Amino acid sequence: MSWQRPNHPVWREVAQRWLCVAVMALGCSPAVQAELPYVLIGQSAPDFALHAAVGGNARLSEHRGEVVVLSFWSSRCTPCRTQLAALNRSLTTYHSAGLAMFGIGVDDDPAQARDFARSASVSFALLLDPAKGVSRSYQVDNLPMTVLIDRSGTVRTVLRDYSPESEQLYLQQLRTLLNE
Amino acid sequence: MLQMTRAIVPADEAPRRAAPALLAPLLAVVLLAALPPTALGAPPAGPDATTPAPPPGEADSPLATTSAAAESSPDTRGLDQEIQGLKKDVVDLNKDLFILEEELLFPANTQVAVFLSVDVGQFFGLDSVQLKIDQKEVINYLYTPREVEALLKGGVQRLYLGNLKVGGHELVAFFNGKGPNERAYKRGASLRFEKGVGAKYLELKIDDRQRKLQPEFEIKDWE
Repeated sequence: MSWQRPNHPVWREVAQRWLCVAVMALGCSPAVQAELPYVLIGQSAPDFALHAAVGGNARLSEHRGEVVVLSFWSSRCTPCRTQLAALNRSLTTYHSAGLAMFGIGVDDDPAQARDFARSASVSFALLLDPAKGVSRSYQVDNLPMTVLIDRSGTVRTVLRDYSPESEQLYLQQLRTLLNE
Repeated sequence: MLQMTRAIVPADEAPRRAAPALLAPLLAVVLLAALPPTALGAPPAGPDATTPAPPPGEADSPLATTSAAAESSPDTRGLDQEIQGLKKDVVDLNKDLFILEEELLFPANTQVAVFLSVDVGQFFGLDSVQLKIDQKEVINYLYTPREVEALLKGGVQRLYLGNLKVGGHELVAFFNGKGPNERAYKRGASLRFEKGVGAKYLELKIDDRQRKLQPEFEIKDWE
């Protein structure tokens, strides 16, 4: 088997290389990443038990029958703090309707995460996941990331950013799940 | 119409000091009440009537309509009973499948089960338990406040269910939590046991040693 030099014209080879570069650049852009489908939608939410930064431990399966909101955060993520405050407001409004909420910190350093948790002043439990086992099972690829789980324990919605639009979408989806 | 007349009839019992102008409408009402219902256009009551008239006692009651609706839907009641029966069948089937699955996955000749119980718990707040059998970690269980509360109320948790071959084995359990004065507390307990041909049941017991004001950890072998 001998190697043969490709007999394509030079301009075609150059065009193919540029096409490859363009496809790779498009694939790495945030717009395309945001469109990536979340594979856990419609599937049973992976169960977990985590230590809380402040307070007792939490296990997801104990909240079957409630609408559960998981928000993944990090102490280095600036929008996470704003989002946690917004989530806290929605919890205050809808807690009596059967809403449970957990923030899951993905910091490597638990001490740093604890400092953040103490300063966040939210009424829901902020859990620690330094080993990132839960983050991996929920395929966290962006921060902040919010996962909505319905009363039967099925993942229904994921929001991969925080903006006024996504907050509106979050409230809309939350009301739908609470009414089910 | 009948209800209307009945509601208005007591007005006829008003004091006779009422103005003479009111007598004419009152008389008209009394006459209307005295007329048979057929004369007023109401459907005739009898065996040919499509809608049976409510009994006189129930006509004034607000529950009359709901009770009548409930009585008039025997099909719905039958359907409810059928659904309840189906649900019971599903629950029974699920239970049978669960037992069958356990018998297949953990046969009695290799089965080993480890249980955990807490008594009093005044000197120890349970946080997690790590279990090792023959130097190999088989489970690391984190307890939530609800689970600890259930254990303190007398609940017994099946912490681990697995398979072991016949012979000698070693079980090591590490208990993590908060000891006296809310300080981090970690203790271990171990047990060497012999696995026979039957199922093996072991119990991790957390108790309070009142004399030393310390918690006590024990592994009990249920023969």
